[in-house]
Amino acid sequence: MGYTYLMTGATSDVGTALMRRLLTNAPEDTVILAQGCGDVEKLAGLCAEFPGKIRPFDVDLSDPYKVDTFTQVLATSCPAPTHFIHLPALPVVNTKFKNFDETRFDKDMEVQVHSAVKLCKAVLPAMAKAKFGRVLFIQTSYTIGCPPKFTAAYVMAKSALGGLVKSLAVEYARFGVTVNCVAPSMMETNFLKDTPELVVKAAAEANPMGRNATPADVVPAMAFLLSDEAGYITGVTLPVTGGSAIV
Amino acid sequence: MSEQDILAAVQDIFRDNFDDDSLVITRDTCADDIEDWDSLEQINLLTAIEKKFSIKFKLADVRGLKDVGDLLDLVARMV
Repeated sequence: MGYTYLMTGATSDVGTALMRRLLTNAPEDTVILAQGCGDVEKLAGLCAEFPGKIRPFDVDLSDPYKVDTFTQVLATSCPAPTHFIHLPALPVVNTKFKNFDETRFDKDMEVQVHSAVKLCKAVLPAMAKAKFGRVLFIQTSYTIGCPPKFTAAYVMAKSALGGLVKSLAVEYARFGVTVNCVAPSMMETNFLKDTPELVVKAAAEANPMGRNATPADVVPAMAFLLSDEAGYITGVTLPVTGGSAIV
Repeated sequence: MSEQDILAAVQDIFRDNFDDDSLVITRDTCADDIEDWDSLEQINLLTAIEKKFSIKFKLADVRGLKDVGDLLDLVARMV
C-alpha cells in the first residue's frame, strides 16, 4: 500500500529533491499533497515525471485563516496523510539584534511554527488511530550548541520547532507516530538568496569537510527518518553538518 | 573616488556596525583596536562595504586583510 505524504514548503530545493526520492519506485497509490506559496509551477516537472502522484496546493502559510482552510480542504478531499513533512521558512537574514525586524519575525513564526501546530492538530489524530505515522521537520545546526551571531530570528523560530518535535514525540510515541527533525548546517539552495556570498563561502571554508551541505546530503537522512524501519527513533534532532556541529 | 572619500564611507559603516557614533578609524586601525571586531563582525563590515560600493569581494581577497589600510586599498582597486 502506498503512503500519503503531506509536504509543506514542497517547492523548495529540498522539497523537490525529497519528493523525487520518495516517489521513485513508490507503490502505485502513493500520493504527495504538496504545498507551495505562489510558486507551485516549480512542481510542473515532477508532476509530469510522476503523473497523478502529486497534488499541488498554493497556500500562504503566513495567513492563519488560509491554513485553516487548507486543513479543511485536506480533511474533505484527500486521503489522511501517513507522513507530514514541514519545510517552510522565510530565508535567513543575517542581521544584528538592534535591527531585529519584529514584523518579519511574526510572519516567520506563522509560516514555520503556527502553521506546524495547526497542521499537526489536523493530521495527528488519524495517524494515532492508524497506529502509524511519521512527522519530520527541518531545523538547523544553529540550534546545536552555540549559534552564530546575527541569526536571532531564525534560531528562535527553529528552536520553537525543536520544542514542538520533542513534545509531540513523547505524546505520540505510544501510537506508533514518530516526530523528528534534521538539522543541516548551511545548505546551498535557493533559500540562501538573501545571504551574502561572502557569508556562504566563509561557512564552507569553516566547515570540517570544506564545503556547505547540499540537498543530496540532507535528503537521505530525511528519507531514513520517514522510513518504516526508523520506527523506534523519535524526538531526535539529526545533525547533517559535515562535522560543523556535533551533539 | 579619493581614498579620503572611501575612508569616510567606511568609517560610517564602522560607526553603524559597532554602534559608536564617535568611532574614528585610520589606516592603522585593526581588529585589536575595536573590542567587538571578530570574524563575524568582519563579514558584516565587508558585506556592508560591498553594498555601499557595489562591489563583490572574494574570500581570498579579504583573508589577508591586516588593518583598515589594507581594506581601503582593496576597495580602491575595485571601485
